[in-house]
Amino acid sequence: MIKQLATLGALAILALPSLANATPEVGAMAPDFEATDIAGNAFKLSDHKGDIVILEWTNHECPFVVKHYSTGNMQATQKDTRAKSNEKQGVKWVSIVSSAPGKQGHVTPQEAQKIVNEAGAEVDVKILDETGTIGKLYDAKTTPHMYIIDAKGTLVYAGAIDSNSSPNPATIEGSENYVLAAVNELIAGNTVTTAQTKPYGCSVKY
Amino acid sequence: MRQILSLLTFALIIIGLPAPSPAQTPDNLVQIRLLAEKSQINANEDIWIGIEQTITPEWHTYWVNPGDSGTATTANWRLPEGFAIGDIQWPIPEKLPYGPLLNYGYENTVTLLQKLTVPAEIPEGAFTLTADIELLVCKEECIPEYGTYTLTLNAPETTTEDNSTLFADALSKLPSKSEAHTAAFYEQNGNFILEANGFEAINADTIEFLPIDWGIISNSAEQSVRVENNMLTITQARGERSLDTLEIINGLIAFTEQNGTRRALHISATAKPAPITEQPVETTEAAQATNGITIPQALLFALLGGMILNLMPCVFPVLSIKALSLVKIAAENKEAAPHKAKIHGLAYTAGVILSFLAIAAILLILKSAGAGIGWGFQLQNPIVVGSLALLLFAIGLNLSGYFEFGKSISVGNTLTQKQGPSGSFFTGVLATAVATPCTAPFMAGAIGFALTQTAAVNLLVFAALGLGLALPYLALSFTPSLQKIMPKPGAWMDVFKQLLAFPMFLSAVWLTWVLTKQAGATGLLQLLLAASALTFGLWLFKFKRIFAKTLAFIMFATTIGLVSIQSQMPASDTPQAEMTHNTYSPKALQTTLSGDAPVFVEMTADWCITCKVNAAIGINIPATRKAFTDNNVTYLIGDWTNEDPIITQYLENYERNGVPLYVYYGPRDANGTRPQGQVLPQILTPVTLPNLFK
Repeated sequence: MIKQLATLGALAILALPSLANATPEVGAMAPDFEATDIAGNAFKLSDHKGDIVILEWTNHECPFVVKHYSTGNMQATQKDTRAKSNEKQGVKWVSIVSSAPGKQGHVTPQEAQKIVNEAGAEVDVKILDETGTIGKLYDAKTTPHMYIIDAKGTLVYAGAIDSNSSPNPATIEGSENYVLAAVNELIAGNTVTTAQTKPYGCSVKY
Repeated sequence: MRQILSLLTFALIIIGLPAPSPAQTPDNLVQIRLLAEKSQINANEDIWIGIEQTITPEWHTYWVNPGDSGTATTANWRLPEGFAIGDIQWPIPEKLPYGPLLNYGYENTVTLLQKLTVPAEIPEGAFTLTADIELLVCKEECIPEYGTYTLTLNAPETTTEDNSTLFADALSKLPSKSEAHTAAFYEQNGNFILEANGFEAINADTIEFLPIDWGIISNSAEQSVRVENNMLTITQARGERSLDTLEIINGLIAFTEQNGTRRALHISATAKPAPITEQPVETTEAAQATNGITIPQALLFALLGGMILNLMPCVFPVLSIKALSLVKIAAENKEAAPHKAKIHGLAYTAGVILSFLAIAAILLILKSAGAGIGWGFQLQNPIVVGSLALLLFAIGLNLSGYFEFGKSISVGNTLTQKQGPSGSFFTGVLATAVATPCTAPFMAGAIGFALTQTAAVNLLVFAALGLGLALPYLALSFTPSLQKIMPKPGAWMDVFKQLLAFPMFLSAVWLTWVLTKQAGATGLLQLLLAASALTFGLWLFKFKRIFAKTLAFIMFATTIGLVSIQSQMPASDTPQAEMTHNTYSPKALQTTLSGDAPVFVEMTADWCITCKVNAAIGINIPATRKAFTDNNVTYLIGDWTNEDPIITQYLENYERNGVPLYVYYGPRDANGTRPQGQVLPQILTPVTLPNLFK
C-alpha cells in the first residue's frame, strides 16, 4: 500500500511538467504571453482582445522563410491581412524569432529592425524570443509556423502559411494561402474552414 | 590546364559513377545518382528505379513524414511516351532529434525506389528518363537542393552492369505491408494509444512507432511500448491534431530482429473509442493520480458511503427488522444470546460483502468486454428495475402482514430466526439488492476511482462498500451494551413492522416511475400486470389445496414472464417543468465553451434519487433560475437513464462512474481565459448554485 501511494505521489509530480508542455488546441483559448518587442514596447497578447492577432515564427536565414520573403509573398500576406482591419476589429501581425543565441536566425534588435526594413515587411510587433519561451508555449516547430487568434482570444488557425511545402520559390504560385483565407473568413464573420495544417519549414532553432 | 582539369573530372565521373548520371556541382551536400535495376529493358517489363542519395556526414534528408520540420524529397519525372512511374517507396527512417523537436529522415546514404511501368511499345535504341529532384538537407541549418538528373536505358555501348545487390539492399530496407496485423488507435488522457496484434515474437525493446500521418503524436515525447498476450500497445503523448477527428492513421512499426536487421511493418490503424477501464500504463496513471483520491481515501469514502446506505428508504426497513431480531434473540435465550448474535452479525456481513463483490465482478467482466457502463448500470436495464420494484412491493406486502411464509413468520423472522445464520446471510444479499438503487453520494467518488484501477483495487473498494453497509448491524451484534439500549420486544414490533412497509411501497412506486421512463406505457402495463399476478399468487398460496398452490405457481411464473419481457424504449424527451436547457453532447459543450457565457453541466438519470432531490432543491428553484438568467448561463443536461457511452466518457473525465455530476465552467475572465470546469458537490443546497455568481 505504501509503495502504491508513493508511486501515485511520484506520478502526480511527473504529471505536472507534462501538463505545462501541452500543445495549444485549435479551438481553445490561445495561451497568453507577455514580451518586449524590438522597439522596447511591451506586448501582451490578452491586451489585444477585439483584434485578430497573427503570429509568425521566423528565421531570416531559413530557406523556407527566404522563399516567402524573396518572392514578396509574406509581405503581401502581411499587407493584405492588415488591410482587413476595420473599426470593429483590427488585424495585428506579430513576428517572433525564437532562435537561441549562437543559433541560426538569432539577431539583435537592431539587426531585426534592419531585416524588417530591408524586406519591406509589414509587421506590427517583432519579438525576439531567444529563450524560446513563447515558441515552446505555442509548440512552434518550424519557420515559418503560423497561428491566428480571433478577437475573442481563441486559437483559430495553426499550421503552414500555404499548401506547398517545397522550399522552391517557384511553387508559391498556385499554392493556397491558408492565413489569408482564414483572416478573410474571420472578417466575414465565418468560422475558419481550414483550421489546422501541417507546418513545414526549417526547425525552430531553440 | 583547363582541358586537363575537365578531362580529369570526366575521368572521375566515369570511375566514380558507373551509372549513366550527369555530373553535379561538387558543393552539393547530397550527391545523387539515378539507378536502374537493369540497364537493358524489354517492353512490358516493369523495373525499379532508384534515387541514390549520398549525404554529407552529419547532414540528413527527410522521410515522407519529415516530423516536426523539414520536407520530403520530391522527384518530377519526364518520361518517354507510355511510361509511368509509381510513388516513392520510402525506406525505414531514423529518428533524428534536434532540441525539443524530432525529425524522421536519413543520414549517410539512402535509396528511394520507384517502380517504372514499361509499355508494350518502347523506343528503339537508347532513351532517357529525366527527373527534377528537389530535396531539403539539414544539419542544424537547412539547405534546399535542386537538380535535374537523367538516366539512359538501353544504351548500346554500355556494358550490362549488375545493380542487383544495390537493389536487393534497397528493397530490404522498405517496410513490409502486413494484412496479418490489425491495429486500432484512440486518445486517452492526452495520449495517443495504438494497439496492434500479432507481435508476440518481437523484442519490445527495439520497437518504435513511426507515424506516416503528421501531428498524431508529439514526435519527441517518450514512447512507451508494451507487448502482452500477443498485443502491442504503444503510448505516446498525442500531437497537435485532435485524434477524434481521424478515422484511419498510417504508420510503421519498426523493430530489430535477432540478427540485427532492422525491419518495419506498415500498419493502418482504425479509430476506436477509448476503453473505460484503463490498464495501469505509466503515463496514463500519472494523469489519474492528479485527481487527488488515493487508495486509502477511496476505501474510506466507500466505507462511509456504505454506512449511509443504511439510512436509504429502501434499506432502512430491512435493517430495522434485522435489529429487532437481535432484540428477540436476547430476550429468548439470555445465555447463548451474545454468541448467537455475533454469528448472525458475521453471516449478515458476509452476505453483504459477497453480494457487493459479485456486482463488482459482473461490472468488471462487462467492462472488460468493452461495455461503456458505470456504477448504477444495473438500473439501466428495465428488467432489473422491474424486478427490484416487484421485490420491494413484495417485501412491503409481507411487512404489512398481507402474507406470511410458513407458519406465521414474516420475512424478517424467516430470514433471521428460522434459518439461523444462513438467514442472516441472505438478509445481507437482500440488503445489497435493495440498496443498489440508492447510490449514496460518498460512493460515486470511490467507485469512480475504483473503476480506473486494477481489478484487485476495484474489488477492495467494493468490499469496503459492503463492509460499510454491514457495519452498523455488525457493531450492534458484537456490542451487548448497545443491544441493551434497544427497546424490549412486544406488540409494538408488529405495528412498527407494518409502518416500515410504507417506505418499501414508496421505493417500489419510484422504481415503477423509473421503469415508465425506460420502457414506456407498455412497460408500465406489464409491470402492473406482473404486480397483480404476484399479489394474486401470494393470496392463492395461502390456501392448502394443491389446485390453489399450482395456480399460485402459475401466477409467479406469469410474474417472472411479464418482467422479463420488459424492453428498453428509445430515449424520449419528456416535457417537464424544468428550466430551459440543452441536451449535453461533447459538441454542444465545445460550442458553448467557445462562447463567453458560463456553462452549467448536469449529468443525471431518472433512477438516481440524489439527482432528483438535487434538481428539486437546488436547481429548479427561483433563486437558481434567476441567477442563471441574470448571468446568461448555458444549461446542459446529460441523461444517463439509459446507457450512453458519450455521458460515461464525460463522467470518466471527472473520474466518476455515476451520477449525479455537476460541473460549472465560469465565464471567461478579463484575459479571456476560460477557467477549468469546477466540480460541484453531489448534494446541492438551495444556495449552492446561486452562490456561484456572488
